[in-house]
Amino acid sequence: MIRLQNIEKYYANKGLKSYILRHVTTEIGQGEFVSIMGPSGAGKSTLLNILGMLEEPTYGAYEFMGTDVTSLNERKRIELYRNHIGFVFQAYHLIDEMTVAENIEAPLLYKKIGSAERKSRVADMLDRFNIVGKKDLFPNQLSGGQQQLVGIARAVAAQPTIILADEPTGNLQSAQALQIMELFKKLNEEDNITIVQVTHSEVNAGYGKRILHLLDGVIKEDVAPELQS
Amino acid sequence: MFKLNFKIAMRNIWKNKGYTLINVLGLSIGMASCILIFLFINHQLSFDKGYKNAGRIYRIVTNWEYAVGEDHSQGVPIPLSAAVKNDFAAVEKVAAIQRSGGIIHVKDDAGRDRIKSDERVYYVQPEFSDIFNLRWLSGNPGQSLVAPDQLVLTEKMAIRLFGSAQASMGKTVFFNKKALKVSGVVGNPPENTSLPLHLLISYASYSGKDSKNWGHIGSGSECYVLLKKGIAIESLKGTMDQFNKKYYNDEGTGKTFNTFQSLSDVHFNELYGNFANATFAKKQIYGLIVIGCFLILAACINFINLSTAQSVSRSKEVGVRKVMGSKRKQLIVQFLTETLSISLIALMIACVLAELGLPHLEALFEHDLTLSLFSHPVIFVFLVGMVLVVSLLAGFYPALIMSGFNPALAIKNRVTVNSGSLGLRKVLVVVQFAITIILIIGTLVILRQMDYVRKKPLGFNPDAVAMVYAPNDSLNVHKLNTLREQMLRIPGVEGMSYCQVAPLSGDVTERNFSYAGKEIKDFQVRVSVADENYVDLFKLKIVAGKGYVKSDTLNGYVVNEKLLKMLNIKNPEDAIGKVFSSGDIKAPIVGVVKDFNDKSLREGVSPMAIYADKNEYYNMAIRIDPDVLLSTMKSVEGLWNQTFPDYVYDSAFVNDDINGYYNDEQIMGVLFRVFAGVIIFISFIGLFGLISYVATQRSREVAIRKVLGASTFELVKMLNGSFLLMVFLANVVAWPLAYLFVSKWLSGFAYRIELSIWPFVAAMLLSMLITLVTVSIRSYRAANVNPIDALKYE
Repeated sequence: MIRLQNIEKYYANKGLKSYILRHVTTEIGQGEFVSIMGPSGAGKSTLLNILGMLEEPTYGAYEFMGTDVTSLNERKRIELYRNHIGFVFQAYHLIDEMTVAENIEAPLLYKKIGSAERKSRVADMLDRFNIVGKKDLFPNQLSGGQQQLVGIARAVAAQPTIILADEPTGNLQSAQALQIMELFKKLNEEDNITIVQVTHSEVNAGYGKRILHLLDGVIKEDVAPELQS
Repeated sequence: MFKLNFKIAMRNIWKNKGYTLINVLGLSIGMASCILIFLFINHQLSFDKGYKNAGRIYRIVTNWEYAVGEDHSQGVPIPLSAAVKNDFAAVEKVAAIQRSGGIIHVKDDAGRDRIKSDERVYYVQPEFSDIFNLRWLSGNPGQSLVAPDQLVLTEKMAIRLFGSAQASMGKTVFFNKKALKVSGVVGNPPENTSLPLHLLISYASYSGKDSKNWGHIGSGSECYVLLKKGIAIESLKGTMDQFNKKYYNDEGTGKTFNTFQSLSDVHFNELYGNFANATFAKKQIYGLIVIGCFLILAACINFINLSTAQSVSRSKEVGVRKVMGSKRKQLIVQFLTETLSISLIALMIACVLAELGLPHLEALFEHDLTLSLFSHPVIFVFLVGMVLVVSLLAGFYPALIMSGFNPALAIKNRVTVNSGSLGLRKVLVVVQFAITIILIIGTLVILRQMDYVRKKPLGFNPDAVAMVYAPNDSLNVHKLNTLREQMLRIPGVEGMSYCQVAPLSGDVTERNFSYAGKEIKDFQVRVSVADENYVDLFKLKIVAGKGYVKSDTLNGYVVNEKLLKMLNIKNPEDAIGKVFSSGDIKAPIVGVVKDFNDKSLREGVSPMAIYADKNEYYNMAIRIDPDVLLSTMKSVEGLWNQTFPDYVYDSAFVNDDINGYYNDEQIMGVLFRVFAGVIIFISFIGLFGLISYVATQRSREVAIRKVLGASTFELVKMLNGSFLLMVFLANVVAWPLAYLFVSKWLSGFAYRIELSIWPFVAAMLLSMLITLVTVSIRSYRAANVNPIDALKYE
């Protein structure tokens, strides 16, 4: 569903180009669980941002579900966000002024889903993620792991085809991190949601089916976790 | 430390050029308005100050109490000054002043007129000099104002007439053909005086000085007293009561009594006039002060909102400073230094703006008003005070917020300004907009009322009618008939009538009268003297009977409907032929005229009687063909000068005179328009500041919503919503206050517009529209930011 062709990203600074990504060419199919790994500054987050259409590549072609989205107008991009892409962030990025239930409901509002349907989906999510008891709490009343659960619930509520996660467990303790990873795995396997995550942790990467190793903006390795070890 | 703070302040100011610009702009415009208001008020308050005995100087004024109201005059009966001298032991000096006016001539050696001019002159008693501490350049108070036919000039007048103070001594000046000898020269009265006396004639020269009539009170006869040291004015009340009882035996329509008015009240009390013809009501001063405070407050609110908007971006600096060991107090001082610097920059610009605005202010108030920024040390004190107040008012709250950041959070850029302070900001914006809306509503209502006043039919036609002075003393009265014939022969002159005043005039004479042999005690009648052409010339409508016929003496009265109504006469025909008398003049009523507005539209129609008396006219009303207005006026002036070579031509159009009665309202209209504009502008940039703050605050939320699929339009709507709500709230707050204000103002008019909902709705729509535009500009930008920028660095 995703096809990257020779993606390049650099910032020009006083005539000097500082490259973030070079000649990135890869494909990600429907239902894959991909982890992007690499040291700091390797371009992992930039790659994920490009996948999420939050940044545009300097060169190269990007096809999302068969359409070229390299430079997409805002209206179409928003359509993709509403219907196909869910984001999960390292810092959770819940809306502080909203309760757990309201946070989960937010994307559904933008999808123009009717009130009854919204209620049932939110209830469904709360149930599924075991946070029914917390639905009226505000984000700052939750632990990091719980906040991330809400973040994922929010992403899943909109029934996306792909979830892009930028270090989803980076701020979490390892026990909580494992829980999140199990969840991703389950979503991937049961709901057939494509997942692309950026991570530092080999353990986390092990939950996925495929690992992209980035170094200085170049894909060094593209392997399945079993083969790596 | 201050130097370092100042340096850093300057750098920060430079770094945030956009915010600084908005702050400086708002503050400087607010300050400039305040400076102008202060200069004007300072000028008004400086009136009649600076006399050595100022605290002990009082004017005696006259009051009447009628069944239907009261009346006041600055004047006193002629014999009063002598009586006061006798009856009040606590009074040290008494000086009567009698205003008069006429033509003064200065002749050259050959006996020809060198200077001919229409001037106000004042007969004054010698004590005047002691009461007001006149500065004598030549002559002395003991000799120069004592004997008859002595004239004292001010230095300015001496220079005008004779070239210098020295040269004028002993020279002769003719006043209404009577020779007066210059016996002294005194220093110029200040510009801000209620006694602008330039030609002082010894009281002994005044022909009416020996009058014993306590019933005649003219506004030209004033009397000032100097109390003995240590006497409280309240202690004289009993003596004054006895005094009034002794001299006024009231039988007729009302009770007459004198009171003391302190010198400091003379300029501000509208009930009584003064020789400078300039009063300025205290309530207007308070109104201006309130508007000035509003403007400064609005500008400060902007500053607070903008500073707190910036504060988050400076949280890191605060954190680092705290970690380095800065105390909270030091941080507050640092931030206040920045505010002070901005205020100082704003002040400099404000001074320039004020300097640019001064000529307009002077023109608006039309007095001989010269204001200057640097004329008075008190202005400097005001400027310093204003900067300090503004710095504290605007800077303290943001400084408190910023210095209160938790350093650990601040360094990690995780500062959130709690929602409570956003609440305060919202309250501030509601206040600011409520002020704006009140001013908008006020402006709209004032403009509509003035429009109404301009357009309301007055019941007579004042267009293209000129009132020209008609000298009517014994020397000239025989010329009037011939002059009329000559005037009517001038092409362009359509009609002419000898009269006293135009139908609408503030020059009012009221008298007791009797109708059909019965004396009327409940009210007086306004009398106006005019010849038989008056009714036609001003196109007054006769509803019963007819105008009186041509005659040199009185042969009938024309009265108005209002008089009949007040006498309970239903049918105007019934009044025709009934004998009417006022004063000693008895004659039948020959006509009834439809009511016309005889006073400004603030007041209702008076009961009126018009009659002819050849010796009482002092004006001629001339109706001119509007197409040849200027050339005709020139011919009229030429003929006039030929007929009255010893007099000075004076003319005015009736319409201009009528407009003159609404001077205050017009000034108020202009002030409201200007200040409403200023405050709209200040609020406009203030809103921009707050939306910037909110956009910064919510940038993360906006980004999240964006990646959740919110469109730009939805985000703009979300950001705008709360602002429209705030402005709506401001409307709700402002409406009742504005209603109170405008209905009070309108109640000052007997003829006024119906207060409809439209000015309120218009103000609401205007404020909403401005809000929408302002806020959308910024929120659109915020909604269009790439979400990465807000989500990346955590």
